[in-house]
Amino acid sequence: MTGLLVLAVLATLLAGACFAVLLDRAQPALVAEFFRARVETEAPDRLNRDLAPAWYLALAAIGLSVVPFAPGLALIDSPAGIVIWGSCEALIVVTIFLHGWAPNAPFPLIGAYRYAALALPVMLPSMFVLIAAALPAESLSLVAIVDSQREIWNVIRQPLGLPLFLVVALALTLRGPMDYADGADIATGTSAEESGAARATWYLARAAMLVSVSALAATVFLGGPLGPLLPGPVWLWLKTAALMALTAWLGNHVARPPPGRMLTLLWILLLPLSFLHLAISGVLAL
Amino acid sequence: MTDPVTDPVTDLVLLLLTAFAVWTGWRVFRVDSMVRASFSLMLSFMAVGAIGLLLSAPYIGIATVFMMAVEMMVMAIFMVMFMMNPAGLNPMMMVHQHGVSIAAGLAAFLGLGTAILLSAPPSDPVPPQARVVAQLGHELLGPSMLIFETAGVTLLATMVGAVILSSRQGRHGAADEGSRPPGLTAGGAPAGRTPGEEGGPGHHHHHGGHG
Amino acid sequence: MTLTIVLLGAAALIGLGLYGALSQQSFVMLMMGLELMLNGALLATIGFWALALGGMPEGQLLAIIVMAVMAVEMAIGFALIVAVYRKRQADMTESLGTLKH
Repeated sequence: MTGLLVLAVLATLLAGACFAVLLDRAQPALVAEFFRARVETEAPDRLNRDLAPAWYLALAAIGLSVVPFAPGLALIDSPAGIVIWGSCEALIVVTIFLHGWAPNAPFPLIGAYRYAALALPVMLPSMFVLIAAALPAESLSLVAIVDSQREIWNVIRQPLGLPLFLVVALALTLRGPMDYADGADIATGTSAEESGAARATWYLARAAMLVSVSALAATVFLGGPLGPLLPGPVWLWLKTAALMALTAWLGNHVARPPPGRMLTLLWILLLPLSFLHLAISGVLAL
Repeated sequence: MTDPVTDPVTDLVLLLLTAFAVWTGWRVFRVDSMVRASFSLMLSFMAVGAIGLLLSAPYIGIATVFMMAVEMMVMAIFMVMFMMNPAGLNPMMMVHQHGVSIAAGLAAFLGLGTAILLSAPPSDPVPPQARVVAQLGHELLGPSMLIFETAGVTLLATMVGAVILSSRQGRHGAADEGSRPPGLTAGGAPAGRTPGEEGGPGHHHHHGGHG
Repeated sequence: MTLTIVLLGAAALIGLGLYGALSQQSFVMLMMGLELMLNGALLATIGFWALALGGMPEGQLLAIIVMAVMAVEMAIGFALIVAVYRKRQADMTESLGTLKH
């Protein structure tokens, strides 16, 4: 059973990443990029430069492995599943920061610091939204959260949850309005000095991360594998694909405000909204 | 189900994780860059979190990883705001009272180590089937609610205090009014630009720049 | 045996942290020393809870309190660093010499 689940996680990640590449308006030619020669920067931190794309990919895989593929069936079925996902989120921010810091060059460093300053306030709504979803389930386990949505999905019960989590999804996958790390305004930021296989892996990992975040959002807000007729995994895949398309569409169509204004938005608007969301969900769950 | 506590493989993994936590903790004060230092500290915390996971404390272990990843990210941001050498791939050793510090550290380790080796703590491991996360929740919102709530109020006071302390406006004018950087030598003239001086950065600082 | 390994590791972390807190000139590095000492405390707490207390929930509570202490230490510490930096434009313990007399 464990082997089958490992296979399911890897297959979902791979197929989903291909779908994510198709969704993107301007994706670099990944296959051609893979065989390109590598550009060296002056005095880089080699360990982190070489490993950051791999860590990003690994965190996407770990994030996906807490998601139940059928009711009661997840690869990592931990009583603290949501906290595992939270740790992944925090480590994703660290990874993206290291990816920009390691080349020891101006544009990547600007991207890294800019992203870190904006991603930290995004972590807060993310945790509040996930804790709110854990309230009706009375458990931090994602399996229990899926079970708690048998009658009504969290997206209806907690209407603010999914929109707030989409902001988190945009930030974790470096898309559109939240792409402060790899934005075009600083010549693709953290990956500006990167080329060849490392760059291709980085963009592949971004695509895989979209799968992981969308699958988690589908589980927490859309009932995950629950649904009539079709088997559980198919429902999960359909919901994940829909959320991936929605996130990619938002990424392509919403403008990115300047970092200062986004910081104000995050602290003044999003954080109180997520407090409100948590309070309402808490009262409803009583 | 084997008892996780007497299992020799678990013991070995535990030993390696403990050694890793101590080694990364030592690296914190030995690496050149502050980014490396803070993420080395993060690795030390993650090793402790993994030990927690291994010793059947899943929530504490994972929460440690989560907390520390965020905290070290904050540390890295503050570091770039205040350090002279933020990206810092140059050698860095800024210490005072070095001998005393080494002696104090060693004394603390040896004293605690002796106490540990001389005492015989009871052996009473967690029962394998205990639902520790649920137990923690019931403890937090049950018998120990007052302690938990006190921690919450303390954190609120911390937030208020941090905002007040770091605010630029104060009762006696701006906090950075009349602020002067320290001299490059003890008792020397302030480093950096003096207020009267015109001209952009680079007037005094020809460091070669990039490339 | 297991508990001894864990506790010795905790003692080493506390010793290292004490060394860092006493020796570092930069406030940020000094705080890393404090964090390292709390890390040792956390490790010892987890070890005692798992191996010598029979899983008393109060042990986990203490670990949570240690984490709360870390958060408080970080927040107030960085606020103090900001306050010092505004006045002295430096992140060095030596810049606070005026408090001596």
